[in-house]
Amino acid sequence: MTNTPLQSDQPLENSVFLRLANGPLAAPVLGRVVSMVLARADCPMNRLDDAMILCDALSAHASAHASDGHVAFTMDIDGQGIVLRVGELTEQGATKLLADAAVPGVGNVLERFSDELRIELPSTEHSREELILTLHFG
Amino acid sequence: MTAATTAPDMELTLPARAANIAVVRHAFGALGEALAVDEETLSNIRLAVTEACTNVVVHAYPDGQEGALEVLATLREEKLEVVVRDEGPGIGPRPGSPGLGLGLRLIVSLTESMLLGRDADERTEVRMTFLLSPAAQ
Repeated sequence: MTNTPLQSDQPLENSVFLRLANGPLAAPVLGRVVSMVLARADCPMNRLDDAMILCDALSAHASAHASDGHVAFTMDIDGQGIVLRVGELTEQGATKLLADAAVPGVGNVLERFSDELRIELPSTEHSREELILTLHFG
Repeated sequence: MTAATTAPDMELTLPARAANIAVVRHAFGALGEALAVDEETLSNIRLAVTEACTNVVVHAYPDGQEGALEVLATLREEKLEVVVRDEGPGIGPRPGSPGLGLGLRLIVSLTESMLLGRDADERTEVRMTFLLSPAAQ
């Protein structure tokens, strides 16, 4: 992260990187960090609930597709919503993670509770697939 | 957990703003609960980490500029090592400091050990070690 001048009025934009080891920390820490970041951005309660469901689904399934025992979450938040990128997954890990989130009788939780969802394919030889979810506040 | 690797169990990087200290505190609250850390130890961890993060927010970057606050937590057997890092000029005497100068002494009193220094990339870091005592079952 580079130093950038602050605007005269503090912007709502926030960018948070969270990398978690597979294990008991992943679900509680991810949920708590996302909820705090969204609360600070004045996210409406119904969307906060949706975000928690997304976090639960991600933390339940992402570890199975982690490339080195860790999963990385990058959150970019502004007054309009949050973009959550899930990275450091195995080859086709994002695709498999998305498939794992399907619940019989309910549908795919990640698709159902996010407003936009896409898989970004590796752009370089060393980069990896990312699952990108967007949640709008409005 | 990941004792065999050197990668932290939790790595959190965010803009060094006062509002984000609460995010860090909550992350450690979740960490403590997940590991069943007793209340007093968790309180010490959160207070020491808050002090270290506050130092970054207040002192690390010149007025009007914003930089990164990085917090790493690694479990090693019965110990938790927490590193709070920034890209500022480092820790030194600050005659005009708005604080009372008690932050680092407070951290020392709350931790098993505390080291100030710079990492391989010349970033300023406060390295704190806490002894974890499991909560009574």
